[in-house]
Amino acid sequence: MALTITCPICGKRNGYEFKFGGEEKGPRPDEKDLTPEAWCDYVHMNKCVAGVQQEWWFHKDGCGSWFPIYRDTTTNLEKPEPGGQK
Amino acid sequence: MFLKKKPMWGKKTKLKSSYDVVIIGGGLHSLATAYFLAKEHGITDIAIIEKNYIGFGGAGRNTAIVRANQRTQYNVPLYKEALDLWPVLTKDLDYNLMFNNCGNLNLMHSEAAMKAARMTIATAQFHGVESHLIDAKEAKELVPALNISEDITFPIHGAMFHPPGGVVRHDAVVWGLARGAAKKGVEIHQQTEALGIGTQNGKVTSVTTSRGVINTKQVLISAGGYSAALIYDMLGIKLPISVLTIQAMVTQPLKPVLDHVVSSGAYHCYANQTLKGEIATGAHMDPWPNYTTLNTAHYIKHQAEALSEFLPCLRGVRFMRIWGGLADMTPDMAPIMEGNNHVEGFFMDCGWGYFGFKSCSAVGKYMAEYMATDVCPDMLKPFALKRYQEHKLMGETAELVSYSPDN
Amino acid sequence: MMNRFNHLPTLKVDTAQKIAFIYKGKKYYGVKGDTVATALYANGIRIFARSLKYHRPRGLYSLDGECSNTCMEVDGIPNVRCENTLLKDGMVIKEQNVKGSAENDWMSFLDKLDWMMPAGFYYNVMHKPAKIWPIAMKQIRKAAGLGKISPDFEMPGKFDEIFLNTDVCVIGGGPAGMMAALGAAQKGLRVILMESRPWLGGFFEYRSSQYKEGETLHNRAGQLAKEVESFENIRVFTHTAAVGTYNNNLVTGFQIGKKDDVFNERYIEIRAKSVVVAAGCIERPLIFDNNERPGVMQINCALRMAKTYGLLPGKKAVFSIGHDLGLEAALELHDLGLAISCIADIREDGQDPVLLKKIQDKNILFLKGWVATKAHGRKLVKKVSLASVDGQVSKTFDCDLVVASAGMTPVTGHITVAQGTLKYDNHTGFFLPDQMPDKMHAAGRLLGLNDPLSIEASGMLAGLKAAFDCENCSIGEIGEAKKALENLPGPVRGTKLVTAPVKGRKSFICFDEDATIKNIKQAIEKGFDVPELIKRFTATGLGPGQGGIPGHNLPLYVAKYQALPDISIRPTNVRPPLVPTLISTYAGVNHKMFKITPMDEMQRKDGGIFRNIGVWQRARYFSNDLSCKKEIENVRSNVGMLDGSTLGKFRIYGPDALKALQRVFVSDMSRVKQGRIKYSAMCNDDGCMIDDGVVIKQGENDYYFTTSSGRAGQTAEWIRYHTRYDGWNFALVNLTDALGVINISGPNARKVLEKVVDIDISNEAFGYSEYKEFKISDTIPLRAMRLGFVGELSYELHVPSSYMKAVWLMLKEAGKEFNIQNFGVEAQNVLRMEKCHIILGQESEQRTNLLDVGLGFLWDRKKADAKTIGAVALHQAEKDQTRLKLVGFKMENNSRAPRDGALIVDDKVRGYIATARDSFSLNEAVGMALVEAPLSKIGTRLTIFEDECGDDRIYGKVVEMPFYDPEGKRMKM
Repeated sequence: MALTITCPICGKRNGYEFKFGGEEKGPRPDEKDLTPEAWCDYVHMNKCVAGVQQEWWFHKDGCGSWFPIYRDTTTNLEKPEPGGQK
Repeated sequence: MFLKKKPMWGKKTKLKSSYDVVIIGGGLHSLATAYFLAKEHGITDIAIIEKNYIGFGGAGRNTAIVRANQRTQYNVPLYKEALDLWPVLTKDLDYNLMFNNCGNLNLMHSEAAMKAARMTIATAQFHGVESHLIDAKEAKELVPALNISEDITFPIHGAMFHPPGGVVRHDAVVWGLARGAAKKGVEIHQQTEALGIGTQNGKVTSVTTSRGVINTKQVLISAGGYSAALIYDMLGIKLPISVLTIQAMVTQPLKPVLDHVVSSGAYHCYANQTLKGEIATGAHMDPWPNYTTLNTAHYIKHQAEALSEFLPCLRGVRFMRIWGGLADMTPDMAPIMEGNNHVEGFFMDCGWGYFGFKSCSAVGKYMAEYMATDVCPDMLKPFALKRYQEHKLMGETAELVSYSPDN
Repeated sequence: MMNRFNHLPTLKVDTAQKIAFIYKGKKYYGVKGDTVATALYANGIRIFARSLKYHRPRGLYSLDGECSNTCMEVDGIPNVRCENTLLKDGMVIKEQNVKGSAENDWMSFLDKLDWMMPAGFYYNVMHKPAKIWPIAMKQIRKAAGLGKISPDFEMPGKFDEIFLNTDVCVIGGGPAGMMAALGAAQKGLRVILMESRPWLGGFFEYRSSQYKEGETLHNRAGQLAKEVESFENIRVFTHTAAVGTYNNNLVTGFQIGKKDDVFNERYIEIRAKSVVVAAGCIERPLIFDNNERPGVMQINCALRMAKTYGLLPGKKAVFSIGHDLGLEAALELHDLGLAISCIADIREDGQDPVLLKKIQDKNILFLKGWVATKAHGRKLVKKVSLASVDGQVSKTFDCDLVVASAGMTPVTGHITVAQGTLKYDNHTGFFLPDQMPDKMHAAGRLLGLNDPLSIEASGMLAGLKAAFDCENCSIGEIGEAKKALENLPGPVRGTKLVTAPVKGRKSFICFDEDATIKNIKQAIEKGFDVPELIKRFTATGLGPGQGGIPGHNLPLYVAKYQALPDISIRPTNVRPPLVPTLISTYAGVNHKMFKITPMDEMQRKDGGIFRNIGVWQRARYFSNDLSCKKEIENVRSNVGMLDGSTLGKFRIYGPDALKALQRVFVSDMSRVKQGRIKYSAMCNDDGCMIDDGVVIKQGENDYYFTTSSGRAGQTAEWIRYHTRYDGWNFALVNLTDALGVINISGPNARKVLEKVVDIDISNEAFGYSEYKEFKISDTIPLRAMRLGFVGELSYELHVPSSYMKAVWLMLKEAGKEFNIQNFGVEAQNVLRMEKCHIILGQESEQRTNLLDVGLGFLWDRKKADAKTIGAVALHQAEKDQTRLKLVGFKMENNSRAPRDGALIVDDKVRGYIATARDSFSLNEAVGMALVEAPLSKIGTRLTIFEDECGDDRIYGKVVEMPFYDPEGKRMKM
């Protein structure tokens, strides 16, 4: 495989310029009344999807921005947003 | 003289409509658990469900290194028992697992690493596992090919030498356990995909497969890199796992030149010579989840750069073959084993990362005990899933966790 | 030495130029253009090696390195495939894996013991009794392996690497590849063409048959090559094997240097927009008894020996073939002087009538539907038996050469490695590309084509498809090219024969691993019924030839033996590198890279002993006394200087800067006062401290802050990650490399600094924990902080990197009268330990959170709105009494300090020593340890277990922290 990632600022680049930042799980939950289960679910738990998932990447050797993409974990290829345009 | 014309792990048979135990995954942890269930607990009505063929995943893709020099007291006894079991299994299975206890040499490249190694060594010694801190010169005596000059990226300060570790022929373990389990009545169903787990009132009732539904009260998922996805798909249980591709490769075969397993954290590299003479080497993981088991150009080059520095004679040797497998990594580099928690009768054994091979024999034994008695053996208690929500990661890696799977 | 042809237009050797080499200690001569193997062959060498298991003699079989038959040691390098390694002056060549010599190997008796070694036999032997295994293992290791490498071997030569971007990358410089390159280049695209042989031309290059009226294939190859070379936008790499293909069109390979190149070998990595694979075919080996006996070779090998290297491969030959190329080769070689006793063609019909006519004209015996069944001769072929394909009738012929081939088979590795799939094709008998990877196109013979014009047309089509991928070609043009191809002859029917009618005990399906047909049967009967499992059980295809020999025969045989109705079985996975590649080639140039600080050179001059610490090189010691006694004492009693430039330094500003700080720092950052220093920490979500540093407010929503050296690289990433949903407006600038840091510490620090700066730095004007910005001599801007990491009066000066040397020298000069000295990272480590100031990763780990290491006072619990990272975990773990806690301890009976990493134990492990030293300042051993909470009470006796201590234990006692100057008077003075 030879991963490429499309950075919204820098375009399609070699995947090794980027750092993976986890599955998309939504914004940080509120602290108030957060149970250990809910906290753990947000911080540690993954769905480990074998297929297309939304996930975060950081352009470490580039512009330094974080952005989400869709990627098929069974082929290592970027995918358009499911049901989205394109 | 040696051959009987009989498939080693039983003839292809029909899938029955019910079994006492169904095990999803035809890898080493599954085979070992089935074997010990049959051998130690008399439970033989077992179906192993394997989508591909036995040993397709990590069991056949790892570089077969075994050792018991982990960092924490929860892990060392488990791996020690696993290490001690290789000669026992060789005898019991009457199959040559080719245990080469050549010893492991883990290189240290800084004062800080030497200190970290000392803690690990003390932990090993405290638990009766042989392990020593040696200096660079002593390391060179053990491995004459080692470059102990200052003129490399990570000069070698010393090493953690663990004599009882070594290499076991991984395929032999797969086939030996499969044969051993099959002899005792365990059914191994290859080319059979598990599609779902049926539950009723919080209890396991069945497993749906590509060849029909099986009624059962106990299910174990120990499907290596695929476990986390299966567990989420079938039962909606999320796990703190990231599935990464880990790569390994071999050189062309050589006459003996490397008598020990050599590894280096700083170089992200290990190397050992197989009985066939190839230098098997690997270690790096691409730090993003994927199920491809594909190789990267980046990595084989990285590996060459690393070996060129600390084992420079290998510059004259050629790489011949690289492959990849999956490693289901947890944030604390320790596995998750538990049962009857979310669903009664459901057991999981996963999150082994790249330690699944080393541990399989002992884990099979204890998971079998767990499943047969429904009581978690002391040895497995520290590995429960709840440690993550209790903020008690195991510390098997000293690294601090961040959001990314490679810590 | 054999006679060479020197008149053939296809020759690639110059027989006039002799090249001397040493073989087994004796001098021999080859000619310019020879490979090592052809030079040896010319000198009468027929047995090049012995096989791995049975030590069977092995000779020249193909010329493209599909097996290890000609692997030898060349200039100390093992396993060199001599058949495609160019001969060089003075080369020293040795045999491998022989006891005695390749000619007379004492171990050849093993060949008769094959009955003892069925597939997988070693799993059933040598483990009973257990005692014999270690001895047996030693013998196995000695017997296994091919070449030898000495542990002190130093690889000569230069190795380079290049990384290229291109529009189209074409793999294979034969007619199809060249046409593809031309097709894409004519569209104005940048093209890279890779060819593994030293010249372009491929399948056409060595052939004299007709391309069209008045033009041979050889001529045509030359013409195409010329055209390719005339294009400036085609970059040709010859002698460059493509060894890896990855998705998103990344291609890797390596180039063998020519005489004048600055490299011996060069790693090449190409990122293309589209890839064309035109790698052609190899021959599918014919399986019969002793099918690898020296004297048996493939069609192309025999033909190219003559046409390319000018060597007649034998005197009297029998051909057992299944493809028209075999007929063509027989005719050509016959004309060059080879006597041919018989041509046995597997095919009953379908031969080219023109070729048949010529064979008839030359009175060569031609048998249709016949095949070789056994080669005779102990070391070299002396006779061969042929039989009808059904095995009913047989004949035997004397000969010294058997040209044997079951047919062609496509080289599909580049496609399958890139995740393309194959499908068995009943017409050609080939595994043909089925699903091609995205933006990868196949062309030429690997599609089953054989007609020269079809091959070229398919190349053109692929080139245009690649151009289309680059958006430089219209659908219409592709349609035309497609039509052109469709009007030409399609793929030819191939032979289906998998093995000759033999039992297969000595019929080898894999040469490298000595795997026979019988072994495969044994494996299948044991339940290993798919090629991937057979590969593992019998090692078939796992040798240096990398599956070149058994690759396509294995699945065909498995299907045949199990009588599978359709061949749904696939070949085993081919793995990169597709051609074995030197580790030195992959490694390329030296990659040793570390960051150095502005003070690097000066500290080295001062005797600094450097270490790699994270991404940096830092001075760890300033003398060979690794306890750093002098450095430590000098700081405690006088004044020392430390280069702290590696410290992370950041500015964050903008309307939401404070919000961002509140998110990542555990303290309430709204309470940071201008001119004051705020020490704080960052935690991860588990509450583990991941960083600490100071924060300085420079203005409203404008802060300067530091991070630990190891963390600086991730700070921006961390802050932006944890604010990624918020849409906050702030700018974060990494100033780590822009600013250097000098730490001047010790009771005399003020006296030294006073001499350098123009402002009042008395304790009243510039007190502890304060921050000042000012200039030296109106020129050098300085940020100064009163800190106390080492526990003494101390100034941390942040200086623009370009001024670092100047300020350093000024301080040194000013400090001369006090005898100011450098101190390094280890002295700092001890000094701060005496003060119980922690270092992340040293006194903290995955199991400890902010509270556990005694820094809970930094945490402000009342800013839930900030959603501070780690706060939830700290709340939830706060009352847990089973965690590790950081404690200070002293040793009992004034004994020595334990070693770092020693354990705290009772009947179990209860903790470990983080850092401990025999303190010069305190005159006793002190340290910090992480212990389970119940052991953390002051006064608790700690039992310490050190590595190698046996039954001895040493004891310490938990004491209050810090050890040195508990009131902190010295840093505030």
